[in-house]
Amino acid sequence: MTFKKFANLLCLVIFIQDFSFANVNFEDDILPLFEDYCIDCHGPDKQKSGFRVDRRVHLLKGGDSGLPAVIPMNPGKSYMIEVIKSDDPEIGMPPKGGKLFDDEVELLEQWIAKGAVWPGQMEDKIEEGTDHWAFQSVERPAIPQKSDNPIDAFLNRRLEEEGIPVNKKTDPLSLIRRASMVLTGLPPQPSRVADFLVDYKENSEQAYTVLVDELLASPHFGERWAQHWLDVIRWAETNGSESNLYRKLAWVYRDYVIRVFNQDVPYDEFIRQQLAGDGMGVGEALGFLVAGPHVPAATVGQEPSAIRQARADRMDEIMQTVGASMLGVTMSCARCHNHKFDPISIQDYYSMTAVFQDIEFGSRFPEFSEEHPRKTKANEIWKDIARNRSKIRKKTTTWEEDWGGYKEVHWKPLEVVGLRLNFWSGYVGLDEVEIFGLPAENINLANASNGTKVKTDFAFAQQGDRFPVTRVIDGKYGTQRWQASYIKEKKQNPWLEFTFEKPVKVGRLRMSSNREYYFETDYLEQKNKFNFDKFLVNVKLVDGSWEEIASIQKIRDFMKREKSAGDAVGEINHLAYKLSEEGPRPSFVGNFIQPKITHVLHRGSPENPRDIVPPAAPKILSGDLGVDNTASGRARRAEFAEWMVGKKNPLTARVMANRIWQHVFGAGLVVTGGDFGRAGAPPSHPELLDWIATEFSNPSRPEGTPWSMKELIRIFVTSDAFQRSNQPSDIGLEKDATSSLLWRFPPRRVEAEVIRDGILLASGKLNRKMGGRSYRIHNIKKTYAQWEVLNNFGPETWRRMIYQERMRRVDDQIFTAFDFPDCGQVRAKRPVSTTPLQALNLMNSDFVVDQAKHLATRAMNESNANLKASVIRVFELIFSRKPMKEELNASLQIAKDRGLEIVCRALINSNEYAFLP
Amino acid sequence: MNNNEEKISSIGRSLLNRRGFMKNAGFSTGALGLAQLLSKDGLFGSDDPTNFTGKSPIRPNLDPDNPYTPRDPHFETEANQVLIIFCPGAVSHVDTFDYKPDLTKYHGQKPPGMPAVTFEGPSGNIAKPFWDFKPRGKSGKMISELVPHLGALADDFCFVHSLHTQTSAHPQGENFLNTGFTMEGFPSFGSWATYALGSENEELPAFVAINDPRGPARSGKNNFGNGFLPAAFQGTDFNAKNPPANLARPASYTSADDRSTVSLLQRLNGFHLEKYPGDADLAARIASYELAGKMQTSIPEVMDISNEPVSIKKEYGLESGTDLKKEYAKNCILARRLLEKGVRVVQLFNGSDPSGGNGITNWDSHSNIDKTHAMQAEIMDQPTAALISDMKRRGLLKNTLVVWCTEFGRMPFLQGNGTGRDHNPDAFTCFFAGAGVKKGYSYGESDNFGFKSVKGRSSVYDFNATILHLMGLDHERLSYYHNGLERRLTNVHGHVIKQVLA
Repeated sequence: MTFKKFANLLCLVIFIQDFSFANVNFEDDILPLFEDYCIDCHGPDKQKSGFRVDRRVHLLKGGDSGLPAVIPMNPGKSYMIEVIKSDDPEIGMPPKGGKLFDDEVELLEQWIAKGAVWPGQMEDKIEEGTDHWAFQSVERPAIPQKSDNPIDAFLNRRLEEEGIPVNKKTDPLSLIRRASMVLTGLPPQPSRVADFLVDYKENSEQAYTVLVDELLASPHFGERWAQHWLDVIRWAETNGSESNLYRKLAWVYRDYVIRVFNQDVPYDEFIRQQLAGDGMGVGEALGFLVAGPHVPAATVGQEPSAIRQARADRMDEIMQTVGASMLGVTMSCARCHNHKFDPISIQDYYSMTAVFQDIEFGSRFPEFSEEHPRKTKANEIWKDIARNRSKIRKKTTTWEEDWGGYKEVHWKPLEVVGLRLNFWSGYVGLDEVEIFGLPAENINLANASNGTKVKTDFAFAQQGDRFPVTRVIDGKYGTQRWQASYIKEKKQNPWLEFTFEKPVKVGRLRMSSNREYYFETDYLEQKNKFNFDKFLVNVKLVDGSWEEIASIQKIRDFMKREKSAGDAVGEINHLAYKLSEEGPRPSFVGNFIQPKITHVLHRGSPENPRDIVPPAAPKILSGDLGVDNTASGRARRAEFAEWMVGKKNPLTARVMANRIWQHVFGAGLVVTGGDFGRAGAPPSHPELLDWIATEFSNPSRPEGTPWSMKELIRIFVTSDAFQRSNQPSDIGLEKDATSSLLWRFPPRRVEAEVIRDGILLASGKLNRKMGGRSYRIHNIKKTYAQWEVLNNFGPETWRRMIYQERMRRVDDQIFTAFDFPDCGQVRAKRPVSTTPLQALNLMNSDFVVDQAKHLATRAMNESNANLKASVIRVFELIFSRKPMKEELNASLQIAKDRGLEIVCRALINSNEYAFLP
Repeated sequence: MNNNEEKISSIGRSLLNRRGFMKNAGFSTGALGLAQLLSKDGLFGSDDPTNFTGKSPIRPNLDPDNPYTPRDPHFETEANQVLIIFCPGAVSHVDTFDYKPDLTKYHGQKPPGMPAVTFEGPSGNIAKPFWDFKPRGKSGKMISELVPHLGALADDFCFVHSLHTQTSAHPQGENFLNTGFTMEGFPSFGSWATYALGSENEELPAFVAINDPRGPARSGKNNFGNGFLPAAFQGTDFNAKNPPANLARPASYTSADDRSTVSLLQRLNGFHLEKYPGDADLAARIASYELAGKMQTSIPEVMDISNEPVSIKKEYGLESGTDLKKEYAKNCILARRLLEKGVRVVQLFNGSDPSGGNGITNWDSHSNIDKTHAMQAEIMDQPTAALISDMKRRGLLKNTLVVWCTEFGRMPFLQGNGTGRDHNPDAFTCFFAGAGVKKGYSYGESDNFGFKSVKGRSSVYDFNATILHLMGLDHERLSYYHNGLERRLTNVHGHVIKQVLA
């Protein structure tokens, strides 16, 4: 220790000594300050910013900012000292009447430094807790009375208490329509209706059970229910924001959700997969975390603070997604200060962001298990590729493949110490060059981390060192690349030379100009281009001699001559495309970054980081995950998932059981399905909610599967409540206008998808192909232009609407008007509005005009061109029933006068079609 | 579909007229406004549904049959309509309305105490205004030669020079100004206003967004979207050239086809309604078809400016200048016609997304500002000024608030390229005119260079709070329950800029 340091230490000791002698008396010196400056706004009467100074524990806890106002022995970190010293009018205290005098501030500092002694209150502690119902553990309530279906027992008890008589059972026609639309989003086919009516007469219960089984097993079930989940998390296929770029292969997540519902993957597993599926062989499930919009780095600008803010905004999108969908808590409130309504602190918010610090918005190869459908498909395709490669090998050892995002050159592996590329074009742009060989086929030997060096002639450089050559071996794809052009003086085209650290066996080369662009986005006018064309590959052998092993010109000449080899190359290029559609390819389902240490951001500002927090779930729900900031991202997320589905968290089961209820009955038992906090609505039937939550997570039925969504849905739709008529009754309406007590099945307008898909089903044009690339309705656009609807009615759009490409905030010019979400904000429940624009769209759009024609043609074909029979057929196809006499007469007259398609158009626009029976 | 006489079956009509019935029977609806239902049925939490600032929300009393019926403001006010002229791309305040002699004095020098890196990269030297400033009107307000027509109206304007925003990126800036949030998916101002106030004219949309002839702005529909409010309150976008989608009868149908469709539809709905006596949702949907039929006549009528007198066309600039100016001038005439018909909110865009390149499609002059700003001003200045003068002559300014705005300002210094100005989120100018605001008045100041707002610093929240206030709405109480929160246009912020109120 030098003398100087020693002296400093000495001073410090004396300083502390000095404090200990200072005589600060709480009653005489400190309390009057609180009373003069603070108590009016921060006392028993008012607690501005959730803060009060009338007890020591309140000082220790602090207010909404989440920072302790007083940290005993540490005035420097005590927020109270910060605000009374601050000049910032938004923070500084007191807000009016001038600042504290310096000696007053000193007194406070000394008092805190001495331990903030408040006589008589030194042992006081605040009990952290909440009496809010949703945060209490779920207990299975007793079923009130005997009933075939327990939910009826709960519902009926309440209706009896209220004195509301229940409606009788609805008619079988309404029942099959209702069940079909609720479960699959499609009305039933006329033939199925006919069968059901016969079966129902014979044995109504059995007929209905068979129907429900059939609907739950239909692949259309998953298409219907996946959309409900996608709504909540505002999933879409574009980024939103300025350029609103397409997210390539984001739809693998949509297909995953459909699969989950169809295969009845238990909800706890669904949660685990969406939070940590990268470790479970379903990597695409992480598309959940990046479902929300984001602002891409390229459009944030160059200011470092703007870049930090954008990252914080992206984290907040993740918080919103997780909070609204799984937790039913509005986490975002706690981004800037403690939650105003719920026991969620700002520390909780940032602890939860720490769980997701390794996630970034972008693309990666999703991790797939061997059994994953895309993996099995890929294995088939790879076999085909291998077959074609051996076909080529019969003719030659060198060839070139086009993989869309990059080109690959193959040759017979040999041992080398260097490799040289001589380009034939005068301009070359490369983001990466990869060289593969043996022993492991997937190790990029060119990567700088393997000791490889790359050189070129600096004279090729276009703009000094703006595009350095080292970028071709830095392992990063994208716009950060090497650019080079012809040297006039030397009459030389660009070249690159790689030197390996030690002799390596090489046999394959992969090159791209902007692979990120290819992997991450699509449908832009600026198509993916290769900024290089032909070139020579020379290798330096171990003895120091150079040998040409591939010439693109020669390869292409050869392929023209040898048709079988040339065709095999063409086949491989096609299979490469097929692989990107059907196999594991980089998909916009999030990518991974090195997790940073997480700080609480004071007042939500990334420019004001405070205490470090560990990855954790909210404290009030015992959110300690047993991991710290050294844990891997995946470990954090996996632990968080276990907490999410674990016993300590009563929200998960309640929120999902309630959501399923909402989609069956039209409104949740908690009508604010995305918010179970104090600002949300209390449950209309608290015991029923807890019963369905426990029956969901921990079934009492011996054959029950925990967390089975289909089983819960089956309980709901087999209830009397679901099968009730939707007829109004005076007493019902008087006592329960919204039918929330379910004395009748509440009528409701169906969603945009049900209207659209039902029209296609009726016209016979519905293409039932499941999954895959979304059908296109928009243009191919310039980067910064808006998407425009080009064709929203042609044959390629005749698939279910869940497969319509979903550009954030773009109006599809027909069905968006029917409250289809713009995917900007989480949507636990769609509003239902009725507007003239809906009427115009359903009357005049090309889609409806076209489909009315198809529907008329189908009806005529199926009625031997008999007009009366075809009118009847149209009623069956649209309403699942035959017309009444008056309806038939009126329709027939119009069919005669104006054509059958006018009748079709009217039926498509009718109230009966638009409402759930 | 056509606007014919026999619209609705008698049973439909009796049901549409059944407000009294609803009161007597305590009847309610499931269709509109979850919040309304919640409050009616006591489904809200045990606590009062207060919002962040502790004030209880004022919920518009929505008529379930028709979400557009006019509703009273929270308090009496002069303005019952609003015209928002939005100039995407960021208009340079220091080259238009915010006169800074120091820029001339320090021209060519390194900016003292200003950042070395701004949105697009390294910053260059201070640049004097590219156009001369002259005193205008009785007030002597200094306004540049870039916008002489607007300058001539200075005595009618109420400037706010001290605005600042949260972002220096355009889409977020547009979102923030128009929806109160930089993120997407929040209801726009027009959506809030029509949610609160309904419309005076049921035959036209309550809220019309007139996109620039070159296309929508960067944030597209988000600038006039309904966010999580019911779709009834979204802005309907059309301009002088393009009617709303699906307004016209399909080409393959005759008017007789339309009449037949409507008459069959009425009968089917009538039969159906007999099974559900008193169902408001069904009746509302029948009514919406009636409204749609009226719009098929009223929108083409209002779009047809062929009968406007020559003098008007000339005044708006329809007969001189570039084609873009003429197109925009037509949009300005359309705006006036919509306001005359009682449309609650008209949002008029002057600029589109930047697909055409730097400063060519909007005000984003990162390079050659002398040419690119001049090009934008040629389009904007005369028609906009004519629109405001015309409104004044017709007495429209008595009840209409005019808001001219842009998402942020531009820098007092040049960019590294030496020909353009970068984004400036810390100081920019907007102005008001018409109902409820002072005339020939300027509020707030930016510093000597126009770099930072210093005197009367006003946030975008303050700006939006002020517009709502001028419309008779308390920005702290106009809220909508969405996903756990009483959402507001101004989030948890905002103070009315009282100094601008007349």
